[in-house]
Amino acid sequence: MKDPLLDIRNLNVDFRTPRGRVHALRDVSFSVPRGKSVGVVGESGSGKSTVIWAVTQLLARNAVVESGEVLFDGEEVLSWSESQMMDVRGEKISIVFQDPMTSQVPVLNYAQQMTDILYRRRGMSMAEKKKKAIEMMRRVGIPDPESRIIQYPHQFSGGMRQRAGIAMALLMDPMLLIADEPTTALDVTMEAQIIHLMRELQREFEATLMVVSHNLGLIAELCDEVVVMYAGEVIESGDVRDIFYRPAHPYTQALLECDPAREEERARFLPVIPGDIPDLHMPPQGCVFAPRCRYAAEKCHDVEPKPTTLPEAGHNSRCHLLDGTVTVPSGKSKSAETRRADDTTSPRQVDGAALLDLSNLSVRFQVMGAVHARLTGVSTPYVDAVLDASLSLRKGETLGLVGESGSGKTTLGRAILGLVPAKTGQVLFEGQDLLKLPPGAFKALRRDMAMMFQDPVGSLSPRRTVKSLITEPLEIHGRNGKNLDVEAERLCDMVRLPKNFLSRYPHELSGGQARRVGVARALALNPSLVIADEPTAGLDVSVQGEILNLMSELQAEHGLGYLIISHNLPVIRHISDKLAIMYLGRLVERGNCEAIFDKPAHPYTEALVRGVPKPDPDKRRTLLSIEGEVPSVTNRPQGCEFHTRCKYATDLCRTERPDEQMLSDGRILTCHHPLAI
Amino acid sequence: MSETHSDIPGPVPAETPVPERGYSMGREKLMLFLRNAMGVFGLILVLLFFASAIFAPLFATHDPLAMDIPARMSGPSADHWVGTDQLGRDTFSRVLYGGRVALKIAAIGVTVALTTGLILGMVAGFGPRWLDNLLLLVFDTIRSFPTVVLALAAVALLGPSLELVLTIVIVTTIPGYARLARTSTLALKNTEFILAERSLGASTARILFVHIMPNVIGPLLILAAMDVPVVVTIEAGLSFLGLGVQPPTASWGTILNEGYLIIRDTPWMVIAGGIPLVLTTLGFTFLGEALRDVFDPKLRRGR
Repeated sequence: MKDPLLDIRNLNVDFRTPRGRVHALRDVSFSVPRGKSVGVVGESGSGKSTVIWAVTQLLARNAVVESGEVLFDGEEVLSWSESQMMDVRGEKISIVFQDPMTSQVPVLNYAQQMTDILYRRRGMSMAEKKKKAIEMMRRVGIPDPESRIIQYPHQFSGGMRQRAGIAMALLMDPMLLIADEPTTALDVTMEAQIIHLMRELQREFEATLMVVSHNLGLIAELCDEVVVMYAGEVIESGDVRDIFYRPAHPYTQALLECDPAREEERARFLPVIPGDIPDLHMPPQGCVFAPRCRYAAEKCHDVEPKPTTLPEAGHNSRCHLLDGTVTVPSGKSKSAETRRADDTTSPRQVDGAALLDLSNLSVRFQVMGAVHARLTGVSTPYVDAVLDASLSLRKGETLGLVGESGSGKTTLGRAILGLVPAKTGQVLFEGQDLLKLPPGAFKALRRDMAMMFQDPVGSLSPRRTVKSLITEPLEIHGRNGKNLDVEAERLCDMVRLPKNFLSRYPHELSGGQARRVGVARALALNPSLVIADEPTAGLDVSVQGEILNLMSELQAEHGLGYLIISHNLPVIRHISDKLAIMYLGRLVERGNCEAIFDKPAHPYTEALVRGVPKPDPDKRRTLLSIEGEVPSVTNRPQGCEFHTRCKYATDLCRTERPDEQMLSDGRILTCHHPLAI
Repeated sequence: MSETHSDIPGPVPAETPVPERGYSMGREKLMLFLRNAMGVFGLILVLLFFASAIFAPLFATHDPLAMDIPARMSGPSADHWVGTDQLGRDTFSRVLYGGRVALKIAAIGVTVALTTGLILGMVAGFGPRWLDNLLLLVFDTIRSFPTVVLALAAVALLGPSLELVLTIVIVTTIPGYARLARTSTLALKNTEFILAERSLGASTARILFVHIMPNVIGPLLILAAMDVPVVVTIEAGLSFLGLGVQPPTASWGTILNEGYLIIRDTPWMVIAGGIPLVLTTLGFTFLGEALRDVFDPKLRRGR
């Protein structure tokens, strides 16, 4: 069968909004061949999700399909009635969603949800349906499916829920499986497992797969063909190797360069694509990427490029560079701008003064009242979120704190600032023990410590203007005779935010702009320590570099100490001097960042480092680096807490908890059997 | 700073239609509101209510207390537009002046109840658990009293007066606002921006009044608009029972009451006292619902 399973031709979709029409998809054409997997890549606002909803006819009510065809199995989908479409959804096309928590019914158990999916199979008895469901659950790697199938989604962990979501999607043996950001809500180790599973299943079921994601690593690991979208247009499509090794479009090239996982060398400054995605109420006249393109010539701004076929089979792109009418201006390098190249080479100055010193910090959360615990016979009515954490940070230094979700890294950051009470331990900040300070004295010290929160927009008070947000620290801690207008402009300049943004509200900002406001707020009082919780979460790859570069520049200028909490290892690797790995509330390895990345000594660190998907289709992993899931903190394993997932575990690990030991290169490690370094 | 960096957001302000201030959203909401015919109708009725009460002396054809004994209990005429009562007072003028009582009760009652409810609700939502439980207990206790029975008991103890009506109105409506404010505050309490404020060292008062209040007050104002007719009818009801405004002051409730006594002679007083009550109720309800539709997109989507 040569004809593709799904063929999208010249699709145009508009959204009607009170402010006019948004041209969300313009002239989108690509096809998904049978038995292949096609990845659709794009940053937020590129229209990649709209494509899914157009194919399944589940577009929001204000959407209008202006023109175009969607052929599924040779038939035109767009003219189908709602009842015809319902026969296809779930039966022939099924979807794996990004967030299994919100896409599964919370009040029905999995047996119920899965037999419901089979409601059209009238010939099947209930027992047969249930058997089929259990088989599918086993197939996707859920242990003990007979007993787990009667559980509810909240009783499953994130990774297990996503596995169940895949099982549900595969239950009807669909012709086309669409995965919408299938691993975005998961940790690195879980992501690796899900990628592995999906690859296996695709081979086994000979399913046709369409993966929609912004994650280049995922696409490289999973797909045969790639479609790159930008601002509602397909700008390049082709074989995965052509796209990753011979990208033709400047946007694809820049996007690949921006992925920190691709850089082999550690670079303090990350490449970025300057500018923002264009406003789709009125898309630019010429090439959509022209305003941000480093090669843009006059023609690019005026004339829309036509799709050009490249020499390699099936490789198409839309760019004037390729149809030969525009040439690369001489003098412009072909690689992304590595600005301030001199900074990347000069050794960093760390002046040695201790800024922050944690010793044996523990945080314990009460989970039930004392009386309730006594009545229900629970002997430990608490969980230890952080246990015996010791860290030190010097001025001008960056410490990366890494761990899976639930490892207690965020709690540790908050405990330092006194946002959650610590149980025991010592937090020395510039020589003063924060835990022993009275609240009044602590407030004064807050001038010198600042925190940046995960959600760039959500951490800004929604009804305040940017100006009042960035000058608020001064209002709280006293202006000291400073003029707020002048201060607001100074801070705006510092984070390179245009001054007319001062009167905007948070919802009018993009993620990157909101993050800049967050940085300005954190630095308003010239602190010496900044704790940044997932500073790149919610940002596109092309923007995260901007924020990290800005943070580095400000660090060099003001001698700031950064504690960066993240699960994004590629990013951490580029910006940190020191690294601390956290597992179940304990620090298992800490030391020099580069040394740890080169030769991880703790098996968990090794698993994390190997778990990052590489945006390189020829470096696909064949073996899983880590099995299983993070145990619950309410039920810590005996002995070494990692032994349940560790492939090197011995009897010693199962019975005795390892003590901290120092390795020859100064690394501190908690493991009985350190890997050879 | 390098050249490339300084022009990063450069093209954005030039191309985005989002204007400098947030008024694009305001204008959008205004358009939505104006498209809602019921809402505009409600707004007109509400403005009419305010105007008639505030400018009652200008519009009134007679002194509301002046008696015209020969023309008592008459129907509509050129001199008395909707007739006179049992003492020969002009009913039209009395209805206009009665609106002043209604407006006074509604304006003061709702404002005080809203403010108190907002503060108590935010304190309950943001404060410690025990305070929350205590305040909830108080709110529920108040709500468990039927308004009219509470009013009867209070009047029996203290004697009828406008101030007492006002107090009862305020006390019985506070829990509604407080409950709503508490729920919204609880939802905001654990959001990141509140945590961010705490990490800056912001005081509780600052968090409550600068950061939580603007986010909580919207639904409360809509509730208040829809509460105005309730308050007006409570006043009319109590006055009808003789527990509120005392003669000779005109109120819609007393007009209805007196009209009810002479309904066999002339129906005009009951009609004249009832119509403004109906129109005010409709006006505020329509306005409140239109506002809710405009400002609460979650409810609108289902339509």
